[in-house]
Amino acid sequence: MNAMKKRIALSYVLLAGLALLFLCLGISVGTASVSPGDLVRILTGRGGDDTAAMILFRIRLPRTLAALLLGGALALAGYLLQTFFHNPIAGPFVLGISSGARLMVAAALIAAARGAIRLNSGVLAAAAFIGALLAMSVVLFLSGRIPGMSLLIVGGVMIGYICTALTDILVHFADDADIVNLRDWTVGSFSGMKGESLAVCAWIVLPAAAAVFLLSKPIGAYQLGESYARDMGVNIRAVRGAMILLSSLLAGCVAAFAGPVSFVGIAVPFLVKRLLGTAKPVCMVPACFLGGGVFCILADILARTVVSPGELGISTVTAVLGAPVVLVIMLGRRGDRA
Amino acid sequence: MLEVRNLSAGYGGRAAVRDVSFTAAEGEILTLVGPNGSGKSTLLKALSGQLPALSGEIVLNGTDVRRMNRNAFARAVSTMLTDRPRTDMMTCRDVVETGRYPYTGAFGLLGKADRAAVEEAMALTDTADLAERSFGALSDGQRQRVLLARAVCREPKVLLLDEPTSFLDLHYKYTFLELLDRLRRERKPAVVMSLHEPELARAISDRILLVKDGSPAGYGDPEALLGRESLIRQFDLTKALWDKYHG
Repeated sequence: MNAMKKRIALSYVLLAGLALLFLCLGISVGTASVSPGDLVRILTGRGGDDTAAMILFRIRLPRTLAALLLGGALALAGYLLQTFFHNPIAGPFVLGISSGARLMVAAALIAAARGAIRLNSGVLAAAAFIGALLAMSVVLFLSGRIPGMSLLIVGGVMIGYICTALTDILVHFADDADIVNLRDWTVGSFSGMKGESLAVCAWIVLPAAAAVFLLSKPIGAYQLGESYARDMGVNIRAVRGAMILLSSLLAGCVAAFAGPVSFVGIAVPFLVKRLLGTAKPVCMVPACFLGGGVFCILADILARTVVSPGELGISTVTAVLGAPVVLVIMLGRRGDRA
Repeated sequence: MLEVRNLSAGYGGRAAVRDVSFTAAEGEILTLVGPNGSGKSTLLKALSGQLPALSGEIVLNGTDVRRMNRNAFARAVSTMLTDRPRTDMMTCRDVVETGRYPYTGAFGLLGKADRAAVEEAMALTDTADLAERSFGALSDGQRQRVLLARAVCREPKVLLLDEPTSFLDLHYKYTFLELLDRLRRERKPAVVMSLHEPELARAISDRILLVKDGSPAGYGDPEALLGRESLIRQFDLTKALWDKYHG
């Protein structure tokens, strides 16, 4: 009992420490290097180089905070989907939910470029949420008719391909001027975060994450299986509905502001669960959020340093880091019930 | 006091069990006896709220259960379920603790009284030494006792058990009877369970409900209902077959 508590506390200290470390790294690493001395001076407001301060506050800080926030959102979306489907390799990316969100965002971007609607971050987020929900409803439809968890994933991947193909077609028919915007966004990156979109992100992600945390108790009951949850007096419909809405909101938000970011939603909950040594949602939810943030800041740092001065797509990095974890999960489950 | 009146339940609007009526008072044990597929499990599912009743009433201490909220119902009625729980990284104590769910606060954390009830239930079911073991690594019999502890630690008014002895060896079958006896004296829940062994049912039950082809086929005294004639009829045996092995 006490050993368990100690392990959980240590895990949280580790995650928080890593988050802090990577936040600092995230704002100091880049093509224009800022010395640690300068960094401290700028952050404490005691002068330092003006250009460096500009880069720090206008570019790197929002970008790093976005990675923290959206990484956390992705990990939580993945955690919710895994719990919902009782499937450790479910996630917003493999189930096609992110792609559904992106399809609607692309439609909104093009509609805005044509002058049909006025675009702001709120509209983008709403479009993404609707797209995520649409994809989710197709997944739900499939899950009722396809037996077995591996087939559900295949179905989700197909939904993802269809949505991505439709997005490509949309982009193809967009004007050249619109495309410049879209190309950037189809690669996936945290670089586009300006003050306003970051604020909108925070307004969506933080309350949604708090809501997930508040649902820890019924989610814990749902984890045992539906008959157990019912025996414990849980309103299963309400919990399922909340999990769908929240995971769509979180995954949609990421798709709207960062584009495709793969495997974070599967890898992070798995790694965090191993670290904590428990699957209890009260412990898992905050740790997943932190872990997702840490994972994505690290991925973002790698994305902009490995091929510097060029930049990799964020998904390229998260796939390299995250996809092996998925394989490990699948190997670990061999022999378990399918 | 649990009163069931003309209860029908089933799947997809079709009744798998029809027109069941019985009562079970505090500390009483009612046992369902019948062939496989006769509707015992369906009946228990309807009683536990897993399956909505198609018609009829379930009344608990004078209140129709449909008028109770989910949490109040969960506090009053506890079930030892037959499906395996998904217990990723859970110890046996973790699993038993989930039985206290309806009593816990907003985050499901256990209080002192909850912990005491858990320890007591684990001692009662002889599972205290399994507390820190991973639930997934248990044998069938151990798992069954842990799930029983889970159902018992809620201190329910009604305890529902679907074939609670199916995976137990003879030792634990009789220990289980002793446990039920103690439970009904000390905590006085009304117990409704299904059993496959007539001799165990006769030894422990206050009343028997025979179920056959989805309908009640007898209700009352264990001695009368679990005798040779009755069992031969209930399980479609022949006198010759029975006597060959009970000579």
